[in-house]
Amino acid sequence: MNKEEIIEKVNTAFVNVLAHSNFELTDETTANDVDGWESITHMMIISEIEKLFNIKFKLMDLMNMNNVGDLIKTIQSEI
Amino acid sequence: MHYDHNAFCINNTFYTYYEFSKIVSMIRSVIHDTIDDTEKLIGLVTNDDIETYASIIALWLEGKAYVPVNPETPLERNIKIFELTETKYVIDSSEVSLYKYHKVISSKKRVETEIDLEPKKTSDDQLAYILFTSGTTGTPKGVPITYGNVNGLVSAVEKDTAFNLVSSDKCLQMFELTFDFSVVAYLFPLLHGSCIYTIPKNAIKYFYIFKLINEQKLTVLTMVPSIINYLRPYFDEINAPDVRYCSFGGGALHADIASEWSDCIPNCKIFNYYGPTEYTVYSGYYPYDKDANHKSHNGILSIGVPLYDVEYMVVNEENQEVPTGVSGELCLAGCQLTPGYWRNKERNDYAFFSKKVGEEDRRYYKTGDLCFKDEEGDFMYVGRADFQVKIRGYRVELSEIEFHAKAVSEKINIVAIDILNTLGNSELGLAIESEEFDTDAMFEYMKTKMPAYMIPTHVRFIKELPHSVNGKIDRKALKKLFKTTNN
Repeated sequence: MNKEEIIEKVNTAFVNVLAHSNFELTDETTANDVDGWESITHMMIISEIEKLFNIKFKLMDLMNMNNVGDLIKTIQSEI
Repeated sequence: MHYDHNAFCINNTFYTYYEFSKIVSMIRSVIHDTIDDTEKLIGLVTNDDIETYASIIALWLEGKAYVPVNPETPLERNIKIFELTETKYVIDSSEVSLYKYHKVISSKKRVETEIDLEPKKTSDDQLAYILFTSGTTGTPKGVPITYGNVNGLVSAVEKDTAFNLVSSDKCLQMFELTFDFSVVAYLFPLLHGSCIYTIPKNAIKYFYIFKLINEQKLTVLTMVPSIINYLRPYFDEINAPDVRYCSFGGGALHADIASEWSDCIPNCKIFNYYGPTEYTVYSGYYPYDKDANHKSHNGILSIGVPLYDVEYMVVNEENQEVPTGVSGELCLAGCQLTPGYWRNKERNDYAFFSKKVGEEDRRYYKTGDLCFKDEEGDFMYVGRADFQVKIRGYRVELSEIEFHAKAVSEKINIVAIDILNTLGNSELGLAIESEEFDTDAMFEYMKTKMPAYMIPTHVRFIKELPHSVNGKIDRKALKKLFKTTNN
Protein backbone atom coordinates (compact mmCIF):
# COMPACT_ATOMS: atom_id res chain seq x y z
CA MET A 1 0.00 0.00 0.00
CA ASN A 2 1.47 3.37 -0.98
CA LYS A 3 1.30 6.50 1.12
CA GLU A 4 -1.63 8.02 -0.84
CA GLU A 5 -3.68 4.89 -0.24
CA ILE A 6 -2.82 4.94 3.46
CA ILE A 7 -3.81 8.60 3.76
CA GLU A 8 -7.09 7.91 1.98
CA LYS A 9 -7.93 5.11 4.40
CA VAL A 10 -6.88 7.21 7.40
CA ASN A 11 -9.10 9.96 6.05
CA THR A 12 -12.02 7.52 6.01
CA ALA A 13 -11.38 6.68 9.67
CA PHE A 14 -11.41 10.38 10.59
CA VAL A 15 -14.65 11.00 8.70
CA ASN A 16 -16.29 7.95 10.29
CA VAL A 17 -15.50 9.16 13.79
CA LEU A 18 -15.77 12.94 13.44
CA ALA A 19 -18.79 12.87 11.08
CA HIS A 20 -17.44 15.71 8.94
CA SER A 21 -14.75 16.16 6.29
CA ASN A 22 -13.75 19.79 6.77
CA PHE A 23 -10.05 18.98 7.01
CA GLU A 24 -7.08 18.02 4.93
CA LEU A 25 -4.63 15.52 6.37
CA THR A 26 -0.95 16.22 5.73
CA ASP A 27 2.16 15.06 7.61
CA GLU A 28 2.07 18.23 9.73
CA THR A 29 -1.63 18.08 10.70
CA THR A 30 -2.21 17.90 14.48
CA ALA A 31 -5.31 17.69 16.67
CA ASN A 32 -5.35 21.51 16.86
CA ASP A 33 -6.07 21.73 13.10
CA VAL A 34 -9.12 19.48 12.99
CA ASP A 35 -12.48 20.33 14.53
CA GLY A 36 -13.56 17.72 17.06
CA TRP A 37 -10.23 15.88 17.25
CA GLU A 38 -9.51 15.62 20.99
CA SER A 39 -8.68 12.94 23.57
CA ILE A 40 -11.84 10.84 23.26
CA THR A 41 -12.25 11.06 19.48
CA HIS A 42 -8.52 10.33 19.14
CA MET A 43 -9.07 7.00 20.92
CA MET A 44 -12.03 6.30 18.63
CA ILE A 45 -9.98 7.20 15.53
CA ILE A 46 -7.11 4.97 16.65
CA SER A 47 -9.44 2.03 17.16
CA GLU A 48 -11.13 2.74 13.77
CA ILE A 49 -7.73 2.75 12.04
CA GLU A 50 -6.76 -0.51 13.76
CA LYS A 51 -9.98 -2.00 12.40
CA LEU A 52 -9.62 -0.65 8.82
CA PHE A 53 -5.98 -1.73 8.45
CA ASN A 54 -6.35 -4.82 10.59
CA ILE A 55 -3.34 -3.85 12.73
CA LYS A 56 -2.70 -3.29 16.43
CA PHE A 57 -0.70 -0.26 17.55
CA LYS A 58 1.80 -0.38 20.37
CA LEU A 59 1.28 1.93 23.31
CA MET A 60 4.90 3.12 22.99
CA ASP A 61 4.21 4.30 19.43
CA LEU A 62 0.87 5.91 20.31
CA MET A 63 2.52 7.75 23.19
CA ASN A 64 4.97 9.51 20.87
CA MET A 65 2.59 10.30 18.04
CA ASN A 66 2.50 14.06 17.55
CA ASN A 67 1.00 14.54 14.10
CA VAL A 68 -0.53 12.73 11.14
CA GLY A 69 2.98 12.12 9.74
CA ASP A 70 3.89 10.07 12.84
CA LEU A 71 0.61 8.20 12.54
CA ILE A 72 1.27 7.26 8.91
CA LYS A 73 4.84 6.17 9.64
CA THR A 74 3.57 3.89 12.41
CA ILE A 75 0.92 2.40 10.13
CA GLN A 76 3.58 1.78 7.46
CA SER A 77 5.71 -0.11 9.98
CA GLU A 78 2.73 -2.23 11.06
CA ILE A 79 1.32 -3.34 7.68
CA MET B 1 8.67 23.48 54.57
CA HIS B 2 9.72 21.82 51.35
CA TYR B 3 10.99 24.95 49.61
CA ASP B 4 13.53 23.17 47.40
CA HIS B 5 11.21 20.29 46.50
CA ASN B 6 9.26 20.33 43.27
CA ALA B 7 5.63 21.33 43.73
CA PHE B 8 4.43 21.11 40.13
CA CYS B 9 5.41 19.71 36.77
CA ILE B 10 3.33 21.50 34.14
CA ASN B 11 4.00 20.88 30.45
CA ASN B 12 7.55 19.62 31.21
CA THR B 13 8.45 22.60 33.41
CA PHE B 14 9.14 22.04 37.11
CA TYR B 15 8.31 24.60 39.81
CA THR B 16 9.68 24.28 43.34
CA TYR B 17 7.65 25.05 46.45
CA TYR B 18 9.73 28.22 46.77
CA GLU B 19 8.79 29.41 43.27
CA PHE B 20 5.17 28.41 43.85
CA SER B 21 5.08 30.33 47.16
CA LYS B 22 6.50 33.40 45.42
CA ILE B 23 3.78 33.35 42.76
CA VAL B 24 1.05 32.69 45.36
CA SER B 25 2.27 35.70 47.36
CA MET B 26 2.38 37.97 44.31
CA ILE B 27 -1.17 37.09 43.26
CA ARG B 28 -2.27 37.40 46.87
CA SER B 29 -0.90 40.91 47.16
CA VAL B 30 -2.70 41.98 43.97
CA ILE B 31 -5.96 40.45 45.28
CA HIS B 32 -5.45 42.24 48.58
CA ASP B 33 -4.78 45.59 46.87
CA THR B 34 -7.52 45.38 44.22
CA ILE B 35 -10.50 43.51 45.61
CA ASP B 36 -12.66 44.82 48.40
CA ASP B 37 -12.78 42.65 51.50
CA THR B 38 -16.55 42.15 51.14
CA GLU B 39 -16.17 40.69 47.64
CA LYS B 40 -15.81 36.95 48.34
CA LEU B 41 -16.62 35.04 45.13
CA ILE B 42 -13.90 35.44 42.55
CA GLY B 43 -13.94 34.00 39.04
CA LEU B 44 -11.00 31.87 37.92
CA VAL B 45 -10.23 30.87 34.33
CA THR B 46 -8.82 27.35 34.59
CA ASN B 47 -5.79 27.35 32.33
CA ASP B 48 -3.21 24.63 32.83
CA ASP B 49 -0.46 26.77 34.36
CA ILE B 50 1.25 27.54 37.65
CA GLU B 51 -0.58 30.88 38.01
CA THR B 52 -4.01 29.22 38.03
CA TYR B 53 -3.04 26.84 40.85
CA ALA B 54 -1.34 29.69 42.71
CA SER B 55 -4.53 31.76 42.37
CA ILE B 56 -6.57 29.11 44.22
CA ILE B 57 -4.15 29.14 47.15
CA ALA B 58 -3.90 32.95 47.07
CA LEU B 59 -7.70 33.27 47.20
CA TRP B 60 -7.90 30.83 50.12
CA LEU B 61 -5.18 32.68 52.05
CA GLU B 62 -7.26 35.84 51.53
CA GLY B 63 -10.41 34.08 52.77
CA LYS B 64 -12.13 34.11 49.39
CA ALA B 65 -13.73 31.46 47.18
CA TYR B 66 -12.92 30.52 43.59
CA VAL B 67 -15.59 30.15 40.93
CA PRO B 68 -13.79 28.20 38.20
CA VAL B 69 -14.72 28.38 34.51
CA ASN B 70 -13.15 26.23 31.83
CA PRO B 71 -11.77 28.32 28.92
CA GLU B 72 -12.91 25.58 26.52
CA THR B 73 -16.53 25.79 27.64
CA PRO B 74 -18.80 28.15 25.65
CA LEU B 75 -18.23 31.73 26.86
CA GLU B 76 -21.97 32.23 27.23
CA ARG B 77 -22.22 29.44 29.81
CA ASN B 78 -19.24 30.80 31.75
CA ILE B 79 -20.69 34.30 31.81
CA LYS B 80 -23.98 32.81 33.01
CA ILE B 81 -22.10 31.23 35.93
CA PHE B 82 -20.59 34.61 36.87
CA GLU B 83 -24.03 36.16 36.56
CA LEU B 84 -25.58 33.56 38.88
CA THR B 85 -22.84 34.09 41.50
CA GLU B 86 -22.69 37.88 40.97
CA THR B 87 -18.97 37.53 40.40
CA LYS B 88 -17.38 40.87 39.51
CA TYR B 89 -13.68 39.98 39.48
CA VAL B 90 -12.07 37.32 37.32
CA ILE B 91 -8.51 36.06 37.71
CA ASP B 92 -7.23 35.10 34.27
CA SER B 93 -3.77 33.99 33.15
CA SER B 94 -4.73 34.06 29.43
CA GLU B 95 -2.78 36.38 27.09
CA VAL B 96 -6.03 38.11 26.16
CA SER B 97 -8.98 37.78 28.50
CA LEU B 98 -12.43 37.23 27.00
CA TYR B 99 -14.18 38.65 30.05
CA LYS B 100 -14.63 42.21 28.80
CA TYR B 101 -17.44 43.10 31.18
CA HIS B 102 -15.69 41.91 34.31
CA LYS B 103 -12.79 43.37 36.25
CA VAL B 104 -9.96 41.10 35.12
CA ILE B 105 -6.87 40.46 37.24
CA SER B 106 -4.04 39.11 35.14
CA SER B 107 -2.20 36.51 37.21
CA LYS B 108 0.78 36.50 34.83
CA LYS B 109 1.80 39.99 35.97
CA ARG B 110 4.81 39.86 38.27
CA VAL B 111 5.09 42.27 41.21
CA GLU B 112 7.73 42.68 43.93
CA THR B 113 6.52 41.17 47.17
CA GLU B 114 7.62 39.19 50.22
CA ILE B 115 6.46 35.59 50.64
CA ASP B 116 3.37 35.63 52.85
CA LEU B 117 1.55 32.36 53.42
CA GLU B 118 -0.20 33.32 56.65
CA PRO B 119 -3.92 32.70 56.12
CA LYS B 120 -6.49 35.34 57.06
CA LYS B 121 -8.94 34.31 59.74
CA THR B 122 -11.97 32.58 58.23
CA SER B 123 -15.03 30.91 59.66
CA ASP B 124 -16.24 27.43 58.76
CA ASP B 125 -19.31 28.71 56.92
CA GLN B 126 -17.33 30.90 54.50
CA LEU B 127 -17.14 29.56 50.95
CA ALA B 128 -13.97 27.97 49.51
CA TYR B 129 -15.29 27.26 46.00
CA ILE B 130 -18.45 26.89 43.93
CA LEU B 131 -18.63 24.29 41.17
CA PHE B 132 -21.35 24.15 38.56
CA THR B 133 -22.76 20.91 37.25
CA SER B 134 -25.34 20.08 34.61
CA GLY B 135 -28.87 21.20 35.57
CA THR B 136 -32.19 19.79 34.37
CA THR B 137 -33.62 23.04 32.96
CA GLY B 138 -30.70 24.17 30.86
CA THR B 139 -29.24 26.33 33.64
CA PRO B 140 -26.14 24.95 35.35
CA LYS B 141 -26.51 24.12 39.06
CA GLY B 142 -24.07 25.62 41.59
CA VAL B 143 -22.63 23.56 44.46
CA PRO B 144 -21.00 25.82 47.08
CA ILE B 145 -18.39 24.23 49.34
CA THR B 146 -17.29 25.92 52.58
CA TYR B 147 -13.96 25.99 54.43
CA GLY B 148 -15.66 23.81 57.03
CA ASN B 149 -16.51 21.27 54.30
CA VAL B 150 -12.91 21.23 53.00
CA ASN B 151 -11.52 20.90 56.54
CA GLY B 152 -13.92 18.00 57.08
CA LEU B 153 -12.59 16.27 53.96
CA VAL B 154 -8.95 16.79 55.00
CA SER B 155 -9.46 15.45 58.52
CA ALA B 156 -11.49 12.47 57.27
CA VAL B 157 -8.79 11.44 54.77
CA GLU B 158 -5.90 12.19 57.15
CA LYS B 159 -7.51 10.09 59.89
CA ASP B 160 -7.29 7.12 57.57
CA THR B 161 -3.86 5.50 57.72
CA ALA B 162 -4.30 3.51 54.50
CA PHE B 163 -3.61 6.58 52.37
CA ASN B 164 -0.53 8.50 53.43
CA LEU B 165 1.35 10.77 51.04
CA VAL B 166 5.02 11.70 51.56
CA SER B 167 7.07 14.53 50.06
CA SER B 168 8.83 12.25 47.59
CA ASP B 169 5.51 11.24 46.00
CA LYS B 170 4.81 12.17 42.39
CA CYS B 171 1.09 12.62 41.91
CA LEU B 172 -1.11 12.74 38.85
CA GLN B 173 -3.57 15.66 38.53
CA MET B 174 -5.51 14.88 35.34
CA PHE B 175 -8.68 16.84 36.11
CA GLU B 176 -10.08 20.06 34.81
CA LEU B 177 -10.34 22.43 37.78
CA THR B 178 -14.11 22.83 37.26
CA PHE B 179 -14.44 19.14 38.18
CA ASP B 180 -14.58 18.39 41.93
CA PHE B 181 -12.18 15.44 41.75
CA SER B 182 -9.41 17.99 40.99
CA VAL B 183 -9.60 19.24 44.59
CA VAL B 184 -8.20 16.02 46.08
CA ALA B 185 -5.67 15.73 43.26
CA TYR B 186 -3.99 19.07 44.09
CA LEU B 187 -4.86 19.54 47.78
CA PHE B 188 -3.38 16.38 49.35
CA PRO B 189 -0.05 16.54 47.45
CA LEU B 190 0.32 20.22 48.44
CA LEU B 191 -0.39 19.41 52.09
CA HIS B 192 2.41 16.82 52.09
CA GLY B 193 4.97 18.61 49.95
CA SER B 194 4.62 16.14 47.07
CA CYS B 195 4.93 17.00 43.38
CA ILE B 196 1.85 17.41 41.14
CA TYR B 197 1.95 16.46 37.45
CA THR B 198 -0.74 18.03 35.28
CA ILE B 199 -1.96 17.23 31.76
CA PRO B 200 -1.59 19.95 29.09
CA LYS B 201 -4.98 20.89 27.64
CA ASN B 202 -4.06 19.94 24.06
CA ALA B 203 -2.50 16.56 24.95
CA ILE B 204 -4.18 13.22 24.22
CA LYS B 205 -4.97 12.57 27.89
CA TYR B 206 -4.72 8.77 27.90
CA PHE B 207 -1.31 8.56 26.29
CA TYR B 208 0.06 11.55 28.18
CA ILE B 209 -0.85 9.85 31.46
CA PHE B 210 0.92 6.70 30.36
CA LYS B 211 3.94 8.78 29.32
CA LEU B 212 4.07 10.40 32.78
CA ILE B 213 3.76 7.02 34.51
CA ASN B 214 6.44 5.56 32.29
CA GLU B 215 8.97 8.38 32.09
CA GLN B 216 8.44 10.38 35.30
CA LYS B 217 7.71 7.30 37.43
CA LEU B 218 4.57 8.64 39.07
CA THR B 219 3.76 7.09 42.45
CA VAL B 220 0.18 8.27 43.07
CA LEU B 221 -2.63 8.12 40.52
CA THR B 222 -6.08 9.66 40.94
CA MET B 223 -8.28 8.81 37.98
CA VAL B 224 -11.76 8.23 36.62
CA PRO B 225 -12.42 4.63 35.48
CA SER B 226 -12.80 5.70 31.82
CA ILE B 227 -9.01 6.24 31.67
CA ILE B 228 -8.27 2.56 32.16
CA ASN B 229 -11.22 1.57 29.97
CA TYR B 230 -9.56 3.37 27.05
CA LEU B 231 -6.08 2.06 27.92
CA ARG B 232 -7.32 -1.50 28.36
CA PRO B 233 -6.34 -2.74 24.86
CA TYR B 234 -2.72 -1.87 25.75
CA PHE B 235 -2.51 -3.23 29.31
CA ASP B 236 -0.01 -5.90 28.30
CA GLU B 237 2.51 -3.13 27.61
CA ILE B 238 2.07 -1.40 30.97
CA ASN B 239 4.23 -2.28 33.94
CA ALA B 240 4.50 0.45 36.56
CA PRO B 241 6.06 -0.90 39.78
CA ASP B 242 6.59 2.63 41.20
CA VAL B 243 2.89 3.37 41.61
CA ARG B 244 1.96 3.10 45.33
CA TYR B 245 -1.62 4.35 45.34
CA CYS B 246 -4.29 4.41 42.67
CA SER B 247 -7.57 6.10 43.58
CA PHE B 248 -10.64 5.80 41.39
CA GLY B 249 -13.76 7.90 41.60
CA GLY B 250 -16.36 9.73 39.56
CA GLY B 251 -17.99 6.62 38.14
CA ALA B 252 -18.60 2.91 38.54
CA LEU B 253 -15.42 0.80 38.67
CA HIS B 254 -15.89 -2.70 37.29
CA ALA B 255 -14.24 -5.55 39.18
CA ASP B 256 -12.85 -7.29 36.08
CA ILE B 257 -10.99 -4.25 34.75
CA ALA B 258 -9.74 -3.37 38.26
CA SER B 259 -8.23 -6.84 38.45
CA GLU B 260 -6.52 -6.53 35.04
CA TRP B 261 -5.29 -3.04 35.89
CA SER B 262 -3.84 -4.20 39.21
CA ASP B 263 -1.49 -6.46 37.23
CA CYS B 264 -0.09 -3.32 35.53
CA ILE B 265 0.66 -1.70 38.90
CA PRO B 266 1.95 -4.65 40.94
CA ASN B 267 3.00 -2.70 44.08
CA CYS B 268 -0.06 -0.56 44.39
CA LYS B 269 -3.02 -0.16 46.73
CA ILE B 270 -6.21 0.51 44.77
CA PHE B 271 -9.04 2.53 46.31
CA ASN B 272 -12.53 2.76 44.88
CA TYR B 273 -13.73 6.11 46.19
CA TYR B 274 -17.30 7.27 46.27
CA GLY B 275 -18.64 10.76 46.85
CA PRO B 276 -20.79 13.38 45.13
CA THR B 277 -19.70 17.00 44.49
CA GLU B 278 -22.27 17.98 47.14
CA TYR B 279 -20.29 16.05 49.78
CA THR B 280 -16.86 17.59 49.04
CA VAL B 281 -15.36 14.95 46.73
CA TYR B 282 -14.95 11.83 48.89
CA SER B 283 -17.35 10.31 51.39
CA GLY B 284 -15.97 6.77 51.53
CA TYR B 285 -14.07 4.05 49.70
CA TYR B 286 -13.57 0.35 49.18
CA PRO B 287 -9.98 -0.94 49.30
CA TYR B 288 -9.37 -3.30 46.42
CA ASP B 289 -7.17 -6.17 47.42
CA LYS B 290 -6.09 -8.20 44.43
CA ASP B 291 -5.14 -11.24 46.45
CA ALA B 292 -8.35 -11.40 48.45
CA ASN B 293 -11.91 -11.91 47.34
CA HIS B 294 -13.45 -8.61 46.52
CA LYS B 295 -17.05 -7.57 46.70
CA SER B 296 -19.01 -6.53 43.69
CA HIS B 297 -22.62 -6.27 42.60
CA ASN B 298 -23.48 -6.82 38.91
CA GLY B 299 -19.75 -6.57 38.23
CA ILE B 300 -19.39 -3.14 39.89
CA LEU B 301 -16.98 -2.96 42.81
CA SER B 302 -18.37 -2.14 46.24
CA ILE B 303 -18.06 1.48 47.37
CA GLY B 304 -17.05 0.25 50.84
CA VAL B 305 -17.68 2.11 54.06
CA PRO B 306 -17.96 5.82 54.93
CA LEU B 307 -14.90 7.82 55.97
CA TYR B 308 -14.43 9.12 59.52
CA ASP B 309 -17.37 11.23 60.74
CA VAL B 310 -19.42 10.52 57.60
CA GLU B 311 -22.90 9.04 57.91
CA TYR B 312 -24.51 6.85 55.22
CA MET B 313 -28.21 6.02 55.31
CA VAL B 314 -30.16 4.06 52.69
CA VAL B 315 -33.80 5.18 52.44
CA ASN B 316 -37.03 4.33 50.64
CA GLU B 317 -39.21 6.82 48.76
CA GLU B 318 -40.56 8.21 52.05
CA ASN B 319 -37.02 8.95 53.27
CA GLN B 320 -37.23 6.13 55.82
CA GLU B 321 -34.23 3.94 56.48
CA VAL B 322 -34.43 0.47 54.92
CA PRO B 323 -32.95 -2.71 56.46
CA THR B 324 -29.58 -4.21 55.58
CA GLY B 325 -29.61 -5.91 52.17
CA VAL B 326 -32.51 -3.81 50.83
CA SER B 327 -31.81 -1.34 48.02
CA GLY B 328 -32.76 2.30 48.34
CA GLU B 329 -31.38 5.77 47.76
CA LEU B 330 -28.09 6.54 49.50
CA CYS B 331 -28.22 9.65 51.70
CA LEU B 332 -25.26 11.40 53.31
CA ALA B 333 -24.89 13.50 56.45
CA GLY B 334 -21.88 15.06 58.14
CA CYS B 335 -19.59 18.06 58.08
CA GLN B 336 -18.55 17.70 54.42
CA LEU B 337 -22.11 18.39 53.25
CA THR B 338 -22.68 21.52 51.13
CA PRO B 339 -24.93 24.19 52.64
CA GLY B 340 -27.20 23.62 49.59
CA TYR B 341 -27.43 24.47 45.89
CA TRP B 342 -26.67 28.05 45.03
CA ARG B 343 -29.92 30.06 45.19
CA ASN B 344 -32.08 27.14 44.12
CA LYS B 345 -34.82 26.58 46.66
CA GLU B 346 -36.79 24.16 44.51
CA ARG B 347 -33.80 21.87 44.04
CA ASN B 348 -32.82 22.15 47.70
CA ASP B 349 -36.31 21.18 48.87
CA TYR B 350 -36.05 18.14 46.63
CA ALA B 351 -32.50 16.98 47.39
CA PHE B 352 -32.15 17.63 51.13
CA PHE B 353 -34.22 16.57 54.12
CA SER B 354 -33.86 16.77 57.88
CA LYS B 355 -34.32 14.06 60.44
CA LYS B 356 -34.27 14.14 64.21
CA VAL B 357 -31.36 12.15 65.58
CA GLY B 358 -31.47 12.40 69.39
CA GLU B 359 -31.69 16.11 70.08
CA GLU B 360 -30.14 17.09 66.80
CA ASP B 361 -31.90 18.01 63.55
CA ARG B 362 -29.59 16.29 61.10
CA ARG B 363 -29.53 17.29 57.44
CA TYR B 364 -29.24 14.60 54.74
CA TYR B 365 -28.48 14.83 51.05
CA LYS B 366 -30.18 12.44 48.64
CA THR B 367 -27.48 11.34 46.21
CA GLY B 368 -29.75 9.84 43.54
CA ASP B 369 -27.58 6.70 43.74
CA LEU B 370 -29.27 3.39 44.52
CA CYS B 371 -27.30 1.26 46.99
CA PHE B 372 -27.65 -1.39 49.66
CA LYS B 373 -25.62 -2.29 52.70
CA ASP B 374 -24.40 -5.87 53.06
CA GLU B 375 -24.12 -7.94 56.26
CA GLU B 376 -20.55 -6.78 56.87
CA GLY B 377 -21.40 -3.11 56.53
CA ASP B 378 -20.02 -2.56 53.03
CA PHE B 379 -22.14 -0.53 50.65
CA MET B 380 -22.87 -1.86 47.16
CA TYR B 381 -23.67 0.38 44.20
CA VAL B 382 -26.79 -0.59 42.24
CA GLY B 383 -27.46 2.26 39.79
CA ARG B 384 -28.98 5.71 39.36
CA ALA B 385 -32.48 6.66 40.50
CA ASP B 386 -32.88 9.39 37.87
CA PHE B 387 -31.81 10.46 34.39
CA GLN B 388 -28.38 11.62 35.39
CA VAL B 389 -25.47 9.85 33.69
CA LYS B 390 -21.71 9.98 34.00
CA ILE B 391 -19.72 10.85 30.91
CA ARG B 392 -15.96 10.60 31.50
CA GLY B 393 -16.60 11.31 35.16
CA TYR B 394 -18.74 14.38 34.53
CA ARG B 395 -22.32 14.36 35.73
CA VAL B 396 -24.72 15.01 32.91
CA GLU B 397 -28.48 15.57 33.11
CA LEU B 398 -29.93 14.02 29.96
CA SER B 399 -32.78 16.52 30.11
CA GLU B 400 -30.35 19.44 29.75
CA ILE B 401 -29.12 18.01 26.45
CA GLU B 402 -32.70 17.44 25.30
CA PHE B 403 -33.60 20.99 26.32
CA HIS B 404 -30.90 22.53 24.11
CA ALA B 405 -31.42 20.12 21.22
CA LYS B 406 -35.15 20.89 21.14
CA ALA B 407 -34.52 24.65 21.21
CA VAL B 408 -33.43 24.53 17.55
CA SER B 409 -35.91 21.97 16.32
CA GLU B 410 -39.33 22.90 17.57
CA LYS B 411 -42.06 20.33 17.88
CA ILE B 412 -39.74 17.39 17.35
CA ASN B 413 -39.39 14.78 20.06
CA ILE B 414 -35.77 14.23 21.00
CA VAL B 415 -34.40 11.87 23.62
CA ALA B 416 -30.82 11.84 24.88
CA ILE B 417 -29.52 8.54 26.19
CA ASP B 418 -26.26 7.09 27.38
CA ILE B 419 -24.91 4.13 25.44
CA LEU B 420 -21.97 1.87 26.13
CA ASN B 421 -19.26 1.62 23.48
CA THR B 422 -17.28 -1.55 22.86
CA LEU B 423 -14.67 -0.57 25.47
CA GLY B 424 -17.35 -0.17 28.12
CA ASN B 425 -17.35 3.65 28.18
CA SER B 426 -20.51 5.71 28.26
CA GLU B 427 -21.13 7.90 25.24
CA LEU B 428 -24.11 10.10 24.44
CA GLY B 429 -26.69 9.36 21.78
CA LEU B 430 -29.53 11.49 20.45
CA ALA B 431 -32.71 9.78 19.19
CA ILE B 432 -34.75 12.12 16.99
CA GLU B 433 -38.37 11.35 16.14
CA SER B 434 -38.42 12.65 12.56
CA GLU B 435 -37.51 12.04 8.94
CA GLU B 436 -33.79 12.47 8.47
CA PHE B 437 -32.55 16.05 8.35
CA ASP B 438 -29.22 17.86 8.49
CA THR B 439 -28.32 18.20 12.19
CA ASP B 440 -25.39 20.60 11.67
CA ALA B 441 -27.34 23.65 12.84
CA MET B 442 -28.59 21.78 15.89
CA PHE B 443 -25.08 20.68 16.83
CA GLU B 444 -23.61 24.12 16.21
CA TYR B 445 -26.21 25.54 18.58
CA MET B 446 -25.60 22.89 21.25
CA LYS B 447 -21.87 23.60 21.09
CA THR B 448 -22.53 27.22 22.04
CA LYS B 449 -24.58 26.13 25.05
CA MET B 450 -22.82 23.13 26.55
CA PRO B 451 -19.30 21.87 27.24
CA ALA B 452 -17.81 19.35 24.80
CA TYR B 453 -18.44 16.30 27.00
CA MET B 454 -22.21 17.00 26.80
CA ILE B 455 -22.39 17.00 22.98
CA PRO B 456 -23.84 13.67 21.73
CA THR B 457 -21.53 11.62 19.51
CA HIS B 458 -24.21 9.36 17.98
CA VAL B 459 -27.46 10.31 16.23
CA ARG B 460 -30.38 8.12 15.11
CA PHE B 461 -33.63 9.10 13.40
CA ILE B 462 -36.69 7.13 14.31
CA LYS B 463 -40.27 7.19 13.00
CA GLU B 464 -41.80 6.79 16.42
CA LEU B 465 -40.16 6.74 19.84
CA PRO B 466 -40.77 3.43 21.65
CA HIS B 467 -42.95 3.65 24.77
CA SER B 468 -43.37 1.20 27.61
CA VAL B 469 -46.78 0.00 28.78
CA ASN B 470 -47.18 2.83 31.25
CA GLY B 471 -46.51 5.43 28.58
CA LYS B 472 -42.95 6.31 29.49
CA ILE B 473 -40.28 6.46 26.83
CA ASP B 474 -38.63 3.05 26.62
CA ARG B 475 -34.98 3.96 26.96
CA LYS B 476 -33.85 0.35 26.95
CA ALA B 477 -35.37 -0.17 23.50
CA LEU B 478 -33.73 3.05 22.30
CA LYS B 479 -30.34 1.86 23.51
CA LYS B 480 -30.75 -1.25 21.38
CA LEU B 481 -31.36 0.94 18.34
CA PHE B 482 -27.93 2.51 18.79
CA LYS B 483 -26.32 -0.89 19.20
CA THR B 484 -27.76 -2.53 16.12
CA THR B 485 -26.95 0.23 13.65
CA ASN B 486 -23.55 1.18 14.95
CA ASN B 487 -21.53 3.40 12.66
